[in-house]
Amino acid sequence: MKCIKTLLFVLMVCIFFAGTSGAADTIKIGLLVPLTGPAAADGLSVQNSIKLAVERVNAEGGLLGKKVDFISYDDRMDPKDAVALARKLIEQDKVAAVVAGSYSAPSRAVAPIFQEEKMPAVAAYAVHPDITKAGNYNFRNGFLGMVEGKAAAYVAVKMLKGKKIALLVSDNDFGRELAKGFKYYIDKYGKGTVSIVSQQVYSMQEKDFKAYLSKIKEQNPDVIFSSGYYFQTGPVVKQAREMGIKAHILGEEGADSPKFLEIAGAAAEGFVIVTNLNRDDKRPEVKKFLATYESRYGIQPDMVGASAYDAFMMICDSIKRAKSLKGPDIRAALAGIKDYSGLTGLVKKFTPEGEVVKDVQVQIVRKGRFRNLGVVSDPDIITP
Amino acid sequence: MRLFIEQLLNGIAMGSIYALITLGLALVYGVMRILHVAHAAVFTVGAYVGLFIFQATGSLALAFVGSMVACAILGVVIERFVYFPLMKYPPFVPLIGSIAVMLSIEEVCRLVAGPYILTFPAKLPFPDIYAGGIQISSTLLAVYSITAIVLFFLWYITTRTELGLAMRAASQDISISGAMGINSHLIVSITFVLGSAIAAIAGILVGIYYNQVYPTMGAVPAYKSLALIVVGGLGSVSGAVIASMLLGVAETLLIGYANIPLPRDALAFIAMIGVLMWRSEGLLGSSR
Repeated sequence: MKCIKTLLFVLMVCIFFAGTSGAADTIKIGLLVPLTGPAAADGLSVQNSIKLAVERVNAEGGLLGKKVDFISYDDRMDPKDAVALARKLIEQDKVAAVVAGSYSAPSRAVAPIFQEEKMPAVAAYAVHPDITKAGNYNFRNGFLGMVEGKAAAYVAVKMLKGKKIALLVSDNDFGRELAKGFKYYIDKYGKGTVSIVSQQVYSMQEKDFKAYLSKIKEQNPDVIFSSGYYFQTGPVVKQAREMGIKAHILGEEGADSPKFLEIAGAAAEGFVIVTNLNRDDKRPEVKKFLATYESRYGIQPDMVGASAYDAFMMICDSIKRAKSLKGPDIRAALAGIKDYSGLTGLVKKFTPEGEVVKDVQVQIVRKGRFRNLGVVSDPDIITP
Repeated sequence: MRLFIEQLLNGIAMGSIYALITLGLALVYGVMRILHVAHAAVFTVGAYVGLFIFQATGSLALAFVGSMVACAILGVVIERFVYFPLMKYPPFVPLIGSIAVMLSIEEVCRLVAGPYILTFPAKLPFPDIYAGGIQISSTLLAVYSITAIVLFFLWYITTRTELGLAMRAASQDISISGAMGINSHLIVSITFVLGSAIAAIAGILVGIYYNQVYPTMGAVPAYKSLALIVVGGLGSVSGAVIASMLLGVAETLLIGYANIPLPRDALAFIAMIGVLMWRSEGLLGSSR
């Protein structure tokens, strides 16, 4: 017994010192990410992608002569946990900047803390407008609902040649913003030629979409815009095809996941999404990321991971240009980003509100994989 | 008209799924007067066990059988080790125990199988049917057929066998039936076996129907089936089935025609409140 106690004591001492030593020669970047709970699959994708980003930065000589590392905590998609962990990252781990790699609810809760502590933070893919409204230390590498809604409408009208469009959107902020953006575009560019035959809103817990789809089938649209996460859009696509609906189905980045392909199965073929990761990107760094990710983790990469990778790399790039680890310096460098070449396309800039400006990618499922269908680069659509 | 019939068919499928999940709850309440919330966790375990057997063997029949056996054992274990020792306390004590069991099983599923949504890519061997411009997809047909078989089997057992007689006697008054020479504890266990095996069928069916199996898949059924047995009349099996069907159809028609962004789950509770105000014993319950 005594032996075990001594061992435990030694172990604790070791852990204590392991936690504090070696802090001086690495630059630490914080990461909040949901590794358990309903968003765990996305969280893992974020964490795996960031590991690849860290390897790349260190292989290229690190930052300011030091190695880079990330410290990640599992926020379980819970705002309460996220707040405590954000404090821990700032006060205990003394990170230089943070990648907010979680969903909107936790990311929204921590944004004001980063603002208050002058901690530069880049939300990887969370979509809620309030995140960047917390102040100028908060940036976002994902599209706002309005931008993505407009881009989806562009795809529906210009690429899929839709004349009669049915909307089926989730009952949350993002779904409603998407619908707003979609209708804004149709009102502006499609008046008289394109009609929205119905707009249905489904609750977040919905699993069975047959009631909505029967109605859509009756209206016989040529394009269905179906927003939602992969666990919602997957069943929508599967059930629609089972019911014999032939219309194009168009989704958004929530469906950008290998899990979507798995859930929808063979019905996924021909499904189109607006997102920010182009799987057929010709640039070598993107090709390398896509190949390395798939061979190392045995699963296809998705936009969530790629967005987090970019968020991390933009922070590193800003530290390099700022030549400083002080919050205000990094923030200024982030705000000054111009034409940064990321996995998710060319980041033209951040708006003064911290919103990213970049092209929207259009992908289509062919032979069980997302492939390039086109790109939306009209400044009127992609500028928030 | 075509739309109405399609929506009706969708609604009946929804109702069938609710019925399969609610049956076990109604059976257990009948003999034990316990709100068996953990039943929804048994349903989740049913889906997982079915999925794992299916992945290992590729046989859907084996998946059904294996999962039913596993769930029957789990049901009896819950009854013996959680409810039976708590029976002597007021009814809320077993209820709290049941909630604890439900949460624990959910977490065990998460720890064992991971937090991800797993897919259940099995194909149920049913054809698509087209009749008069209306299509009944193979998944709908599978749900109807399996529910019909389960309901018939249950009806046969409860009305045409001695075991059924004993079960009905126990559900009327468990202590008197014990005095009449019925081994009431055995009857309780058999009820758990039946209810849990049906939950396993429901779990696999839901897993295939939506192509998703995940640790919290029992969360919504857990509280919805509670509302359903209240609406049907506590302890009345046929009441629970009728309530499930009505709710499935009502939800679907409401979504199909009204398109109010009211979560469909709210409707079950509105119905429950309505029934409690208008007929507190439920649709088919007897006033005691």
